[in-house]
Amino acid sequence: MRQRIDIRRLAQYGVVVVVAVTLNFLLPRLMPGNPLVLIAGVDVGLLSPEQRAEVVARVGLDAPLWKQYLRYWGDIFTGDFGYSFRSGRPIVDMIRDRLPWTLLITGLSLVVSAVAGVILGALSAWRRGTKRDLGMLTGMISIESLPSFWLGMVLISIFAVQWRLLPSFGAVTPASDLVGWALTWDVISHAILPVLTLSILATPGVYMTMRYSMLETLGEDYIRTARAKGAGERRVLFGHVARNTIAPVVTVLAIRLGFAFGGTVIVETVFSYPGLGRLVFEAVSGRDYPVMQAAFLVFTAAVLVANLVADLLYPLIDPRTRAS
Amino acid sequence: MTATEQQERAARRTARRRSRLPILFGVTGGTIVGLLVFGAVFAPLLAPYDPTERVGRPFLPPSAEHLLGTNDVGQDLLSELIFGARVSLAVGIVAASVALLIGTTVGVIAGYYPKRLGAVMMRGVDVILILPFLPLLIVLAAYLGRSLLNTILVIGILIWAEPARIIRSQVLSLRAREYVLAARSMGAPDRWTILRHIVPRTALLATGSFVRAISNAILLEAALSFLGLGDPIQKSWGSTLFWAQARGAFLTPAWKWWVLPPGLLIMLASLGFALIAFSLEERINPRL
Repeated sequence: MRQRIDIRRLAQYGVVVVVAVTLNFLLPRLMPGNPLVLIAGVDVGLLSPEQRAEVVARVGLDAPLWKQYLRYWGDIFTGDFGYSFRSGRPIVDMIRDRLPWTLLITGLSLVVSAVAGVILGALSAWRRGTKRDLGMLTGMISIESLPSFWLGMVLISIFAVQWRLLPSFGAVTPASDLVGWALTWDVISHAILPVLTLSILATPGVYMTMRYSMLETLGEDYIRTARAKGAGERRVLFGHVARNTIAPVVTVLAIRLGFAFGGTVIVETVFSYPGLGRLVFEAVSGRDYPVMQAAFLVFTAAVLVANLVADLLYPLIDPRTRAS
Repeated sequence: MTATEQQERAARRTARRRSRLPILFGVTGGTIVGLLVFGAVFAPLLAPYDPTERVGRPFLPPSAEHLLGTNDVGQDLLSELIFGARVSLAVGIVAASVALLIGTTVGVIAGYYPKRLGAVMMRGVDVILILPFLPLLIVLAAYLGRSLLNTILVIGILIWAEPARIIRSQVLSLRAREYVLAARSMGAPDRWTILRHIVPRTALLATGSFVRAISNAILLEAALSFLGLGDPIQKSWGSTLFWAQARGAFLTPAWKWWVLPPGLLIMLASLGFALIAFSLEERINPRL
């Protein structure tokens, strides 16, 4: 039983990859205008007919569509994402430089929002209907309506400009030659505001799931049994409710991770943080299409990995879903 | 009064508070949305200046003539915000309509034919829900180019999956009701059954999804405009913030009148619709 579910899941993720790659392949070729501009990054008007034919042959646009498609897959499997129009660098190298920063801030914000969301959601559900519960609920709904980039800008204005507590851009102080602890602190102080922004934005999702999931658990018979046998409030909360609530929250967290990863496009842009999200923004504003596409594939891969991890964790946390 | 009586009384109080919450949310959301729509409709009467005219020196702080100061080319920021409501609300509503149209169609068909067709369609919906949403939105917007119509299309074709899922589950249960079975056993064609018996009964649920989609679409439009992917001619709240960012307004005292107000308006608009959606969803399926 369990085996079958896993295979279906994997097949689904496979389909997602195919869809993402196919979208990447088709989009520049379907757009109005000459695809040369989008694929080879050259201004067609400036080329002589011979030069043009040469470029067409070089990027393989003269081959039939299915051959181009196969070649595209081949390139991806060999890790060849091509070169940036702007910098001329191999895109793989650019992504390798940027990815760690994005992993750093999304990882940290995942931890912060998970802890905050689980605690607040549990408190809220435990005291359902009280003023505090409804206040928190309203607050979380409001946070979900915050524009992420605006939250970042306001945090910069307050913490970096008004109070001069933290740096406002970048991941390290440029040309500072810091080493050891000074460097560590430099990296941390640059990460605080982006992580705070991402954490605030991700908390409501965790909170809502925790609250709903816990309200459901609180209505279960075994909770009534636990109460009836005289277990204390604390014992009921931690021993019976929390344990049975955490599993759906983990799934949401994993899916949120993929979501938060995408959100870095905006947050990293506001903080000029040199991660993958900022790379997407730079690529978009510089019409650097291959970089944009490669980054999109990396984001897709990240989302799938997050989902896979959730699938693998779920039966470990919630034995009820383990196949009998 | 005994301890149990007190407890009971407290329990009743919290229950009452809980049951009033959807109404409170609905009224608050409705008021916010009403005010914003009013501002958008009567923008030419309410705005002190034409937001496209240079009416003062650039970078003016707030004063009696310019309540929120001026931007980098000397246009009145308050007028820009009042007119911006038109773009933000219009994009939100039209994009949500596109999403609702696709979502209802897919949801109804997938729910009515749950066997093979429905299963295949829902696999597709799942794939769309897994794809990294924001990067895909940006990639599509970048290829399509900057115009109001493209913004609407891109948002609309990316946010229909959630409504489709919700509506499908409702249709699945409607399909098994007696009156639907009766209609089918009397030989009513599928199209008639769907239009006459199924679609009208998904209306309330669809309205909830629609309002929630507006709330999302407003935020997405703002994000696209902020990244410089919005229509360069239309002034929306997001594009005001794009220019505030480009000119570094948030690094100067100007953030209080240039950065704060548009962001608050985006939040209010999105929140207003979200609150209405919550109160509708509560009515259908009480979970709070």
